[in-house]
Amino acid sequence: MQTVKIVISGQVQGVGFRPFVFNLAEMLDVNGTVSNNEEGVIIFAQASKEIVDSFYKALLKEAPILSKIDKHYITEVNHKKFKDFKIIPSENASGLNLQLTPDFGICDKCKNEINDPKNARYNYPFTTCVHCGPRWAITKTFPFERHHTSIDEFKMCQACENEYSDPRNRRFHSQTNSCGECGIQLKLIDNESELVSTNNALIFNTIHRLLIEESIIAIKNTSGFLLCCDARNDNVVRKLRQKKNRPEKPFALLYPSVEKLKTHFSINLDIEKELTAVERPIVIIPTSIKNKTPIASSVAPGLNQLGVMLPNSPLLQLLANEIDFPIVATSGNISGSPVLSDNLEALELLGSIADYFLLHNLKIEHPQDDSVIKVSNNSNERVLFRRSRGFAPNYYAPKIENKKNVMAMGAHLKSTISYMPNDYIYISQYLGHLDNYGVYERFGKESSSFMNIFQQKPAVVLVDKHPSYQSTLFGKELAESIGAEFQEIQHHKAHFASILAEHSLFTSPKEILGVVWDGTGFGNDHQIWGGEFFKYHNGKMQRIAHFDYYDWLAGDKMAKEPRLSLFSLVDEVASIMTKKFNPKETKIYKELKKKNKLKTSSVGRLFDAVASLLDICDINTYEGEAAIKLENHVLGYDLKKCNSYASVFGNDHLSANAIINGVQSDIDSGIEKPQIICNFLFTLAKLIIDVANHNGIKSIACSGGVFQNTVLLDMLKEIAGNEYELFFNRNLSPNDENISLGQIMYYLNGVDS
Amino acid sequence: MDKKQYKFDKINLGHGSGGIMTRELLDGIIFKTFDNPYLNQKHDGSIVKIKGEVAISTDSFVVSPIFFKGGNIGELAVNGTVNDVAMCGAIPKYLSLAFIVEEGLGANEFIEIVETIKVTSDKCGVKIITGDTKVVERGKGDKIFINTTGFGEVHPKAEISSDRIKEGDKIIVSGYIAQHGMAIMSQREGLEFESTIESDTTNLNFIIESLLNNFGNKIKLLRDPTRGGLASTLSEIATDTNNGILIHENKIPLERQVAAACEILGLDPLYVANEGVFVAIIDKDVETEVIDLMKKDSKGLNAICIGQITNDHRGKVVMQSGIGGKRIVTPLIGEHLPRIC
Ligand SMILES: [Fe+3]
Ligand SMILES: [Mg+2]
Ligand SMILES: [Zn+2]
Ligand SMILES: [Zn+2]
Repeated sequence: MQTVKIVISGQVQGVGFRPFVFNLAEMLDVNGTVSNNEEGVIIFAQASKEIVDSFYKALLKEAPILSKIDKHYITEVNHKKFKDFKIIPSENASGLNLQLTPDFGICDKCKNEINDPKNARYNYPFTTCVHCGPRWAITKTFPFERHHTSIDEFKMCQACENEYSDPRNRRFHSQTNSCGECGIQLKLIDNESELVSTNNALIFNTIHRLLIEESIIAIKNTSGFLLCCDARNDNVVRKLRQKKNRPEKPFALLYPSVEKLKTHFSINLDIEKELTAVERPIVIIPTSIKNKTPIASSVAPGLNQLGVMLPNSPLLQLLANEIDFPIVATSGNISGSPVLSDNLEALELLGSIADYFLLHNLKIEHPQDDSVIKVSNNSNERVLFRRSRGFAPNYYAPKIENKKNVMAMGAHLKSTISYMPNDYIYISQYLGHLDNYGVYERFGKESSSFMNIFQQKPAVVLVDKHPSYQSTLFGKELAESIGAEFQEIQHHKAHFASILAEHSLFTSPKEILGVVWDGTGFGNDHQIWGGEFFKYHNGKMQRIAHFDYYDWLAGDKMAKEPRLSLFSLVDEVASIMTKKFNPKETKIYKELKKKNKLKTSSVGRLFDAVASLLDICDINTYEGEAAIKLENHVLGYDLKKCNSYASVFGNDHLSANAIINGVQSDIDSGIEKPQIICNFLFTLAKLIIDVANHNGIKSIACSGGVFQNTVLLDMLKEIAGNEYELFFNRNLSPNDENISLGQIMYYLNGVDS
Repeated sequence: MDKKQYKFDKINLGHGSGGIMTRELLDGIIFKTFDNPYLNQKHDGSIVKIKGEVAISTDSFVVSPIFFKGGNIGELAVNGTVNDVAMCGAIPKYLSLAFIVEEGLGANEFIEIVETIKVTSDKCGVKIITGDTKVVERGKGDKIFINTTGFGEVHPKAEISSDRIKEGDKIIVSGYIAQHGMAIMSQREGLEFESTIESDTTNLNFIIESLLNNFGNKIKLLRDPTRGGLASTLSEIATDTNNGILIHENKIPLERQVAAACEILGLDPLYVANEGVFVAIIDKDVETEVIDLMKKDSKGLNAICIGQITNDHRGKVVMQSGIGGKRIVTPLIGEHLPRIC
């Protein structure tokens, strides 16, 4: 007889691990206990040596599908005789050192149950089990136990209790367990708070009818509100646009099923895999190859792509059962504000947008937008555009020695917070644009929430070098108030560090070329960087090249008006400019340009200038519009037919002007837009390889918002072939969402120090 | 005085030597212009009478260009300091006046500035009681710098103190914002807009005096949002007093032409300097009366309540945007740098 203590760490709580251990112990006739503690799952097992061995092996091999084990150990201990095997309550959670648990999309078994008229959970919109349901969305503190979540407000009925305590039941120790008898209540009201229905069996049918009748419905999902309407109906989509003050930005669609989606568009297996993954993200699919679709043109005006998703919760599944058409499902917020999750707040703020509200009484602790993924056409490179529901707050980072508790405040426009209080890194969901006070508040809440969950305050606070990022100001205040060390990290170095981290390259013996291209970042020379090349080797990050500086005009306005980037890069007397600027504007901007001192190397703005030059977009109506529309003109490419606009590195100059001149001369010789865009992207891709070659570097890491351009990625991969090793952000977006992780990694790896 | 009569075209180093030329400059221009008993004492300083508590404020004026649409540096130097004294809840009485002139400044320009100072100080009801003039080598200055210090008698009914601000207090702005900064910038950068934007430089002491006469301690705080604009002033108030400030974008008084100019340049009018606007934080009970009174004064025709003090977001200024949503208003930090990535 042997007694052992086994500790298993990773994403092991809220995923059915303890019930799994219990059943395994029963099966193998092992006595002892299992509980959650601050390190993960802790097991005492007592049996013969052989049985203990096979028990341990089976634990690791057959662990529940949603679990992610990253640490485990076994030690022999002395212990009195156990009579049986028990799940015992959690120990106190101070010094928490384990993964938290993200939200999981509905599982097939639960889906079958809600669709089965004979099942007790037929039509129950909050059906969950150990394999699915909200986790982070309802987490107040940790370990993941019911009384640490907002579902604790609902007391389980006898039937639910029975499931919960039956080792043979799928809901054995399922913390989110509830049913129609005891659980969360749904109600449909109109925007004057007049009750329409509370009947789970009828409510979705009513919504179906309302959708057809051109209503806009605010639906409270388990992660936050969605605004929905019939995607086939141009009138209602336009009405939503007008009410939401969102003229052009594409809306995402909820499809009732993947089968239905396939009747409208051809999607490949990689896309299908992403759509049905447990995170259930929005996937941006190409819509150029389509069957006959009934989708209103106002859903994604002027675009050959569409964000689509499948039902991620039983609530949306029940809705999907009633509709056989796609619906608009966009974040329930007012323009620029964070996604709403509180009933009263939603009624107040969305009351003028939505005609009806589908509400429930589960409190959402961590509201999250839907995550967004795109897969590139040629090489199936998967790019995260927004990391939120399903992914947050965990991040699987390579092991790193950390003796200090560090919090990084990220950037400003696409803000996230990263926290490393122990052996793990936690990255908040995408929080949004910090100019917005609602976003700023939520930013503060997530920061406190991290500190509360781990009952620790950071010893080090990291921020961007930009003096007026709201995150920088917040970090400064936080550091002062808790007496933490405070450090600023340059924006593009943080981008680069995020990739070095994602691919464990900090200790690489090889030199790595960091290509960091984005719209704006505050440089060490107080200019606006954005077309940067770094060399990383032996803990040193060195800026080795950048696009030649050109004028940054008119503050934030330049990022909103691609025509201004063009103005900066061409001679203002060029005939094209007279179409884009009236004489008064021309005169003013000419003066500005003459006296301007602020310069930029931004590639993001170069994209803007090209989009404007090609008459694709002069003024953005949403962030990134010019770049998205530019990419959208390319339906395919043939590298052999692409020309580079400049051997730009010939004389050690990377000239945005030269590229613009190249585009202009192609226009003048009557070349078609799609080919010009291909030439432009080819120029950039080739430039990266040229710079690598010039510096004798074979490993290239690319980060920054520009690398959301999947055509550029495809070209780059094709040109690099086997000769160069390419690295892209993998589990984070290439845009500023990765800044907070980069800040932590730059700091902890002691780069440049 | 006839400018032509002065015997030098330009101010030169000799005028700052302290010798005969200096004397000539003072007698020929300064004393002649400001002719008053205090100055005529011709002491190293002046002896003046003042009642009760004294408010003192000093400011140096360095503006380019020195002549601009709506005024010149001399007018700024008087109004700026007079206003600062008034913001203390005081009635400005006396000003000191010191020039640092760069060698080569045209005598006519100098005379025009001095005369403007005279006219402006008369308008404000303040006396220039002491002064100084230095001349520096070419390149060591920028045409002319002026320092003024103002002395005022604290209004008997005034109880200006940021400690007295509390939730619900109203925030009043006296008129169109961003005029001065945009006037200076458009002239300096050679920018032409539909019509010329003029500086709003003016003295605010009389309108303040009448507010204090009528509402006394219901007026809790007075500030003139000069450099850094309205945003910086409100942020300072929020941080210093640890109160929240909520303002409404569509209440901010902004002249159409100035708004258009800011828009075209990508500037936020909240950060643009003012020289003839003040912010008053007042007890909410007197909001309507205060605004009614202000609107009767030419300096307060466009007075409006733009928001209030809140218990939420202490230490921060939040603005309800015109299109929905709220945004944080931070103080100006260094120069304006783009933040959008
Ligand atoms: Fe960036
Ligand atoms: Mg002052
Ligand atoms: Zn399930
Ligand atoms: Zn139940």
